[in-house]
Amino acid sequence: MSDSKERLTLAVEIADLLLRSGAEIYRVEDTLLHILDAFDLENFDVYVLSNGIFASANEDREDACSIIRHVPLSDVHLGKIAALNQLSREICSHACDINEAWARLNQCKAIPAPKPWVQGLSCGVGCGCFTAIFGGGFLDAVFTFVLGIFLQYMRMDHEARKTSKFMTNIVGSAFLTAASLLLLNLGLPVMQDKIVIGGIVPLLPGIALTTSIRDLFNGDYLSGAIHLLDALLTAMCIAVGVGFVMVFYQHIPGGIRLS
Amino acid sequence: MIVQFLLAMTATASFAVLFGVPKEQFLFSSLTGALGWISYLIFCELGFGTVFASLFATFFLTIISRFFASIRKNPVTLYLVTGIFTLVPGAGIYYASYYFIMNDMHLFTAKGMETFKIAGAISIGIIFGFAIPQSIFQIKKKNRKL
Repeated sequence: MSDSKERLTLAVEIADLLLRSGAEIYRVEDTLLHILDAFDLENFDVYVLSNGIFASANEDREDACSIIRHVPLSDVHLGKIAALNQLSREICSHACDINEAWARLNQCKAIPAPKPWVQGLSCGVGCGCFTAIFGGGFLDAVFTFVLGIFLQYMRMDHEARKTSKFMTNIVGSAFLTAASLLLLNLGLPVMQDKIVIGGIVPLLPGIALTTSIRDLFNGDYLSGAIHLLDALLTAMCIAVGVGFVMVFYQHIPGGIRLS
Repeated sequence: MIVQFLLAMTATASFAVLFGVPKEQFLFSSLTGALGWISYLIFCELGFGTVFASLFATFFLTIISRFFASIRKNPVTLYLVTGIFTLVPGAGIYYASYYFIMNDMHLFTAKGMETFKIAGAISIGIIFGFAIPQSIFQIKKKNRKL
């Protein structure tokens, strides 16, 4: 049997990746505790925040060990969560030993994000459909589809440059509003508001809101508050982006007066 | 209604792709979103108003995602997070900032408050949905197997 340090490291690595991929705190803590239990560690304790993990094991023994991890908020990847969930199930039922678990963990880490063109296309389709759902016509949906593709490429570009998420949201919603106003000004029969509403859906803090509520409900107030703040600020950034462009538009000579 | 259902399904499915949901779960993720949206429409038709319709629809959505999570043996997040996008009040955020810019303070307050209320309703819906004990979903799963 490997030493306790290695087992604790494996468990924390799994928890780290779970947290990075956007799992809620309760799931991360629960997974950690179950894995540590399955690895025959004693006297272990874990504390998970939305951007950090603290774990210790075998406190009263010779081989006491502890790990602290800082986990920055990053991109959601639900596929990784599903794969890790499966892995931790197998570890807990002792279906795979520690070496196999390491190999499997590396596999999970290597699950790629969808290809750029897949992301762009799916974002476009999603935006287009949302426009149609929220009452836009066919033409609106087509325009939102195109804008959605641009939006996703812009987001991927910003991510590569490590631009602040707030800037991305402001610029993204400003871009959508500007593009929709341009279409309106060209005299096309579009419903400008529906295009913007459909287009901002990928920017909306749906995940942050859901995660924060679930964290709060499970008693993880600190993590819940972090995510709630994230959700509120994101919503505000969207509003700022939309509003900014509209103020400008009002003052451009020749802009159609919005009513 | 059928068109709305299909549109909501496609929309949710494309967001599922965006968030890297495994291929086997696409169908279930998109079903969750579509059912959530349709239930929202139905509750609106019944005259509950947007806030209560959001509450009931989210409650329903949470139950469906927990049910799928139970039968598909996957984390509930997979279904809930992708499904909830149909209900998040994006339109509210847009109209609130729009009226704010237009200096229509009356409509701004009305829209802003509505958006906040909907966000609160979604929270309460999720909380109620998770308050149902897990054992109920396990019984359902056994029945399905028989």
